[in-house]
Amino acid sequence: MSQKQDAGDSLYRKDPKVYPRDVQGRFARLRTLAVLVLLGLYYILPWIDFNGHQSVLFDLPARKFYIFSLTFWPQDFIFLALMLIIAGLSLFFVTAVAGRLWCGYACPQTVWTEVFLWIERLVEGDRPKRIKLDASPWNVNKVLRKTTKQILWISFALWTGFTFVGFFTPIRELGHSVMTLQTGAWETFWLLFYSFATYGNAGILREQVCKYMCPYARFQSAMFDKDTLVIAYDEARGEPRGGRRKTDDPAEKGLGDCIGCTLCVQVCPTGIDIREGLQIECIACAACIDVCDQVMDKMDYKRGLISYTTEHKLSGAKSQVLRPRIFVYLVLLLVLITGVLWSVNNRVLLRADLLRDRNALYRELPGDLVENVYTLKLINMDFKAHNYKIEVVDNKDYVLFVSPELQLESEEVGNFILRVQAPASAGRGSQKIDVRLTTLEEPIIERIVSTRFLLPFK
Amino acid sequence: MEHPVNRRWSMRQRDWAVVLWIAFLAAAAGSFVLFGLVNPLDMFGQWVDEYDIGVRLAYGLVFAFLYLLCLLASALTMFMVRTGPARGHVRGKGGRAIPKVKDPSRSNPDLDGENWQ
Repeated sequence: MSQKQDAGDSLYRKDPKVYPRDVQGRFARLRTLAVLVLLGLYYILPWIDFNGHQSVLFDLPARKFYIFSLTFWPQDFIFLALMLIIAGLSLFFVTAVAGRLWCGYACPQTVWTEVFLWIERLVEGDRPKRIKLDASPWNVNKVLRKTTKQILWISFALWTGFTFVGFFTPIRELGHSVMTLQTGAWETFWLLFYSFATYGNAGILREQVCKYMCPYARFQSAMFDKDTLVIAYDEARGEPRGGRRKTDDPAEKGLGDCIGCTLCVQVCPTGIDIREGLQIECIACAACIDVCDQVMDKMDYKRGLISYTTEHKLSGAKSQVLRPRIFVYLVLLLVLITGVLWSVNNRVLLRADLLRDRNALYRELPGDLVENVYTLKLINMDFKAHNYKIEVVDNKDYVLFVSPELQLESEEVGNFILRVQAPASAGRGSQKIDVRLTTLEEPIIERIVSTRFLLPFK
Repeated sequence: MEHPVNRRWSMRQRDWAVVLWIAFLAAAAGSFVLFGLVNPLDMFGQWVDEYDIGVRLAYGLVFAFLYLLCLLASALTMFMVRTGPARGHVRGKGGRAIPKVKDPSRSNPDLDGENWQ
């Protein structure tokens, strides 16, 4: 390290820039598939319509979240919280079973970095060419390549930011306002901010995010045990490492199976040497497995010098997939998922709130009748318009009058005045009544709300 | 007779004390600002009318929520800083050396010809 780099007291060592080498193989194909599926969903979903609205839309101004056939209202916030807990638990479960599977294949950081790397490779070539280009003086070729790369990166980042905002503002309208340069202040801000974040994280920071910024990377080791799947180098088989010809007998030369080609280091997106043992920087992308297997094939050695394995397996012990913690995570996860699915499925698509009129307790009417007045707030959470019938459960004494008429368009919120009359002989003081609301249309949606009906004490 | 001296706190105890205290201050400031702008009864009155929670409980609940949120942020910050690279990392102390790489085919002539370059 140069004198100049040593100066200063920055917290972090200036690591050399990582130029990950392109790699092909089983796990690289799996990652490509993950990238295509996940980013495909991200970029295409907002353009697909469902039931007359955008398939996934978080409509913040209207406070409604649309996810395919489901609409979540602010009152359904509990589902959102539960879904986040499910996501967290799934992460714990997957981590306990298979290590950092999330980091290697599904994390947005990995997925977008992969795309930015594809663009970089397309324009500047693979690792050696990129190193050479960066080291070379500025000339026409370098300017052209760097500019092309930046233009592609920025366009892709802007498209990403646009799509992101498209999950919150109907994307077709957004597209139109972007084309005519009429986006609102917040839309513009988030579009640019998310584009900038994509560009910065996937284009510039890359492995630094995983190494220094990601909290999951720090605490995932708490979920690890000796039976968790990790990527490891089989030291007993590989060492001592050294160069050789294919025809050489390693035993004769006193060598292990590692030929010291350093390809595992060159493909590593975080720039570590997996042969040094399990490291916190390893995001378990398995690029080193792919490339090492290729080298082993080339040398006619057995594959798997670097492989997905467990600490127990490496030490010769038996590895167990089913362990107490796996059971605990799994049971919790299943209970939560079943609970959420059940309650989402059995959600009553009508919400009703009955608020007593605060101005008067009750009103005495001619004919020995007593009247209470309520405000009835109804939310029709269904996709269809409905007419409703209202009655007091199991009590014919009470007569109800509602104005205006009890009908709501799909997803409409309505306020009504409800007057309830009962003979003074119905009781003394406060009476609990259950008010039932039912749709006139099939299938019947029913909701019962309880309230108090006040009568004189005389 | 020796004058009694309090035992020094361990680093972890100090961390937690700071986290608890700073989160408390931040939550207090947050509550001031929030309730300067919003009437607590407006926040709850709409949906939980049947339980009239009253002003004090509303203040308390919001403060507790903000405190929890600030605690979470502080504790996570503490964790990230404490588990981060050690001091002197910049001068190459602690941590591993930067791995060396070389041309794969230099000492392994059989790897030549592939697109390793």
